[in-house]
Amino acid sequence: MQVDLLTFWPKILEATNETLVMVGISLLFATLIGLPLGVALVVTRPNGLLQNGALFKVLNAIVNFFRSIPFIILLVAILPITRFLVGTSIGTAAAVVPLVFFSGPYIARLVESSLLEVKPGVVEAAESMGATPWQIVFRVLIPEALSSLVLNITIATIGLVGASAMAGFVGGGGLGDLAIAYGYQRFETEVMIITVLLLVVLVQLVQTTGNLLSRKIRRH
Amino acid sequence: MIHFDHVTKVFKSNGAPLKAVDDVELKVEKGEIFGVIGFSGAGKSTLIRLANLLERPTEGRVLLNGQNIADLSQPELRKVRGKVGMIFQHFNLLEAKSVYHNVAFPLSIAGIPKKEIQKRVKEILEFVGLADKAKQYPDQLSGGQKQRVGIARALATSPEILLCDEATSALDPETTKSILDLLRRIRDEYNITILMITHEMHVIREICDRVAVMESGRVIEQGSIFEVFSNPDHQTTKNFVRTVMQDEIPESILRMIDKHDGRSHIYRVTFIRETAGEPILSRIAKGFDVEVNVLYGQITELQGVPFGNLIVEFRGDGAEILKAIHYLQTNVKIKEVTSHAG
Repeated sequence: MQVDLLTFWPKILEATNETLVMVGISLLFATLIGLPLGVALVVTRPNGLLQNGALFKVLNAIVNFFRSIPFIILLVAILPITRFLVGTSIGTAAAVVPLVFFSGPYIARLVESSLLEVKPGVVEAAESMGATPWQIVFRVLIPEALSSLVLNITIATIGLVGASAMAGFVGGGGLGDLAIAYGYQRFETEVMIITVLLLVVLVQLVQTTGNLLSRKIRRH
Repeated sequence: MIHFDHVTKVFKSNGAPLKAVDDVELKVEKGEIFGVIGFSGAGKSTLIRLANLLERPTEGRVLLNGQNIADLSQPELRKVRGKVGMIFQHFNLLEAKSVYHNVAFPLSIAGIPKKEIQKRVKEILEFVGLADKAKQYPDQLSGGQKQRVGIARALATSPEILLCDEATSALDPETTKSILDLLRRIRDEYNITILMITHEMHVIREICDRVAVMESGRVIEQGSIFEVFSNPDHQTTKNFVRTVMQDEIPESILRMIDKHDGRSHIYRVTFIRETAGEPILSRIAKGFDVEVNVLYGQITELQGVPFGNLIVEFRGDGAEILKAIHYLQTNVKIKEVTSHAG
């Protein structure tokens, strides 16, 4: 079965655009949730700057809960929440909500691990100089971990690109959806190859940008 | 200046309480360099962290200028910490920041105006000899330079006290010496009180005025460098002194002692202060019918005072040797050595 690729270019362009929008918006919100959550996991943990065992346990359990649900199930399970938040349960906007739920806790873990890489001695030095806990978070932990944070956000972005492929289930569109709908279900191999290639290029671009940025801000 | 008033610190790890610091009573006077030495696990790093409340005492008080720092509110404590600088074994610099911004950090978090910060950082980098490295980053510096940045950072807020946590333990001997020289200059020029912990006795000998020896959380011995080095009391102290001043008699000499024929006696002669410079042994050889043979020993300097420790063989008639010993006792410490009791 042959398809006229020319008629598909607009479709591919549209799908690329949908993917970028989904990933971009989800990443923004997931980071807005994940960054403070990750910081909270670091400062409330035992021997943390603002040690709070109960809060740490609760946050830790919440993050683990969302991290343990497969995305495809999360997508369906939170449909009522999606409808409540964006007014609809289908379309690109509807895909963003589960992507944020999926990616936010993941970013929180990545942020946590980045911040924990900062040597405890550096934190101790800042304490010995009379820094407040918040000064330590914003002027020591985050700046010192920035390079590693960028690399980890890059990983999360690529994870989002992958997860967004499943957004087809709620009519979210995007490159992954195109590859499945045309390439897999209709055996239109060329379309599948092209979309997959585009995904490969996208992932390469994201990773390269992340690496460059991370190296650039290692010293700032 | 710093007074550890019967301070105890207990850590509870996995149920079993661990007494890291056990009823320590220490006073560090203004302008002195006080060393605390101990093997790892002796509690010395906990002790130094009690001095700026990085660790809170379980019992007892830590007084800085008479003020119990555990009574302070958080903002007051942060203010006091500005007056107590601290440097570390692994420097603990901000890796992402330039030398300039590392040194500026304590000033900037204290809300000092930018203009003033610039002036102070420039001044202090010049003092530590890193004026040309302001724009470099820590990973471009050698260990000694990193510690100088650490020192500059600790001095930026013009502290009255400097805490040194194994500050030279990660450095090679030559760099160690230059850092110790810098610490001495800090004391001499700024009259800053220095409390340092180390496991290296040569560091203590090099710059400290007084020393405390710690073992299992307790201070087992303390005194001036001269007292402790010339007359160590506790076995652990003796072991530490031995790491820098060889006073154990080598095997080969012990074998000679075993072979003595009755006409030969071996003594340990300890010279202190002015006697180290006097030709006492040659006077013995001239004044008595005794042959003098130095088997082993060394003379070193402690706080600018010569200190000597010699293993000497006296050969001759028993009575004559006794007379010689009698004469010596008025000038030096002398003790007969056998192969069993060196």
